Amino acid sequence: MKLGPKAAAAALIVSAALALTACGGGATGANPAAAKTTTLTLGTVQEIRSWDPAQAHVGHILQPYQAAYDSLLLRQPDGKLSPMLATAWKYNDTNTKLTLDLRTDVTFSDGAKFDAEAAKANLDHFKTANGPQMAQLTAVTGVTVVDADTIELNLTTPDPSLEFYLSQAAGLMGSPKALGTEAIKTEPVGSGPYVMDKAATVKDSQSVFTARKDYWNKDLQKFQKVTFKTLTDLTARTNALVSGQVDATLLDPKTGKQAEGAKMTLAANQVDWQGLLLMDRDGAKNAPLGNVKVRQAINYAFDRKTILEQVLLGQGTPTSQPFGKESGAWTEELENYYSYDPAKAKQLLKEAGYETGVTLEVPSVPGFETQLAVVKQQLADVGITLNVGSALTNTFTSDIAAQKFTTMYFSLFQGEPWVAINQIVSTKALYNAFKNTTPELQAKIDAVQTGGKDAGKLAQEVNKYVVEQAWFAPMFRVNQMYYHNSKVTVTPQIQQAVPSIYNYAPAF
Amino acid sequence: MIPFILKRLGSGVVVLLAVSILTFSLLYVSSGSIARNILGDQATPEQLAVKEAELGLDQPIITRYISWLTDALGGNLGASWFTSEPVANALATRIPVTMTMVVVAMILISIIATLIGVAAAVKRGWVDRVVQIGAIIGDSIPGFVIGIILVTILAIQMGLFPATSTIAPGVDASAWVLSLTLPVIALLINGVTGGAQQIRSAVIKQLERDYVRTLRSRGIGEREVLFKHVLRSAAPAGLTVLSLQLIGMLGGVVILESIFALPGMGPMAVTATIQSDQPVVMGVVMYTVAVVIVVNLIVDLLNGWLNPKVRVS
Repeated sequence: MKLGPKAAAAALIVSAALALTACGGGATGANPAAAKTTTLTLGTVQEIRSWDPAQAHVGHILQPYQAAYDSLLLRQPDGKLSPMLATAWKYNDTNTKLTLDLRTDVTFSDGAKFDAEAAKANLDHFKTANGPQMAQLTAVTGVTVVDADTIELNLTTPDPSLEFYLSQAAGLMGSPKALGTEAIKTEPVGSGPYVMDKAATVKDSQSVFTARKDYWNKDLQKFQKVTFKTLTDLTARTNALVSGQVDATLLDPKTGKQAEGAKMTLAANQVDWQGLLLMDRDGAKNAPLGNVKVRQAINYAFDRKTILEQVLLGQGTPTSQPFGKESGAWTEELENYYSYDPAKAKQLLKEAGYETGVTLEVPSVPGFETQLAVVKQQLADVGITLNVGSALTNTFTSDIAAQKFTTMYFSLFQGEPWVAINQIVSTKALYNAFKNTTPELQAKIDAVQTGGKDAGKLAQEVNKYVVEQAWFAPMFRVNQMYYHNSKVTVTPQIQQAVPSIYNYAPAF
Repeated sequence: MIPFILKRLGSGVVVLLAVSILTFSLLYVSSGSIARNILGDQATPEQLAVKEAELGLDQPIITRYISWLTDALGGNLGASWFTSEPVANALATRIPVTMTMVVVAMILISIIATLIGVAAAVKRGWVDRVVQIGAIIGDSIPGFVIGIILVTILAIQMGLFPATSTIAPGVDASAWVLSLTLPVIALLINGVTGGAQQIRSAVIKQLERDYVRTLRSRGIGEREVLFKHVLRSAAPAGLTVLSLQLIGMLGGVVILESIFALPGMGPMAVTATIQSDQPVVMGVVMYTVAVVIVVNLIVDLLNGWLNPKVRVS
């Protein structure tokens, strides 16, 4: 191999030019589709653990299951529940028995028939299969088959989120012949709009589905082929979307800019809130946190709007309340309950007797390093020291349960009111690690539980209580940056980072 | 030769055993919340206890290790705690993807680095300077950065290659090749620049030795001197560098597989480690250590074959 000086110079120039075009950015990946597409390729953030419906999860991990499995109830994009495999459902007067009428014209992909026995088999299986969402059926003590198309779910206590759960993991119906077998772990057997193409599916790479012939509800089956491409890495998802390998995927504010440059459309949606969880509200381990004035002072210390602009490029909404906008528990008046007021924060600390300072310890949560740095700075301005401790590891849920952290910065799901209460407020909630409560709060929580249709409205009282008592220092609701190309249309789904499978359609 | 191989294999087994004990102990420390990680935030203490018993987490560490070791010796590496996928299956589907990339990259690195290294050592002058500068640049840019630059230009802007993997059964071989090209180039650049530099030094050192002058004075052709004698003497240094490159590459490949969404060992190792999925982590670690041991053994054998003195020492 002989390289002359000219060739070497040319090579240098070429590589420099390549490097410069790389810096220039501005990709040109968008190409308008000529004909209506029949395929949908989605970039998913996580690989499915097991296709057993009892192992299904929430939000973006629920989506792939919806291709193979129908659920008892269908959740519309705005959160309303509508019939699916169950055509009607009704509670008894005490909200302790839910009766479901079922369809009779549905079969599973292995030929088994869907009926009351099949529904019972699924719910029983879900209760015993120890899946990640098994808590969804905690309140259900047993399922009774009334007749071929009717079942009853008997509850120990009222559970205002049960109907919602029947549109989620707990409601997914698999073939009774396949439940509990090894095979269903790798190949789903449901009654859903699509069936897995096992030959084209590669573990950890892609799951391919084709439209099922004679599916009972053609309205929910809009594509001939649906592929879930596993792209755990954010850079990979961005590249795949911009280069046209996937039609839609979840990005973040920064990579979203690149996608916008490539003419991708944003279907934004607020699903999580992030901020401080002031967990030691009785001051068991950190005395100042037991004082409501100190907790309120922390809330007044933050210039939420500026933090949002700087850290998340403005992709979100500043807020003082931990309950989500579509949850029913949200109220306008709590939105800016704690405005940026450092003088008031100092005043409150003085009144609480902590003029000389307060020290908080938080674990370093991966991904929130920038937020923690800003929070530390703004707290320091009012006289509160924030010590950022060691990084969270995979033992963090047990560490929280073991009351290792008195305070932490985290991002949390804003679900239905009863779901949120059980996640962050009730004495059973993991994120109420110190099990704080008062008779006043407990009464409000009980009212939600037995409130039936009024549960959402009643949860406003719980929301008001935790905001006034400054249980948290919420910063903002975060925009989920879900992008798609022009070949498909996408309707966001409330409380889900990625839409349900039914919310996609071919464009044109 | 046979006692030498047996001795090396014996020490390999000891290393494997030591690493397995160490890894198992480290995983034990962080396995406290496995059951909760599997069952989610809302699991009750009773449900957690059932899961822990099911996974054997209620047993003392010694019992757990011995049971893992016994199974492993019988060829059973267990199943993932999170997906129930047998570890042996998981490894069998992912090793080919990773090894294809690593082996192709290694073959190319060996050829290209040797050619460039020898050219720099023999020609010196500007060729040498370009190689030296290239080595510094190549060494200082991490492989994944090169990968991202390649994707941006060649895949996204020019559309010559897929931006992420299109590896799937039934897809024709050209799609395979296209999918693997960019990650292999990203692996190559670091390897070639580093390797060429080392081979260059080794060849120069040999060229300055007395025996080269003697051979030349006897009128033996320059080409024969270089390829028959110098390269053979410089080979051990080159092989050592290449084996280190290969071992280092097993780390670099993890990030590249994520960026290019290749279903290889990397993403599995990362996920399993984050989740403390003990059977999978143990499987990945044992496999990696075994590769390192085998590579070292092969390098030693090649060195012995090239240079009989090594066998005696």
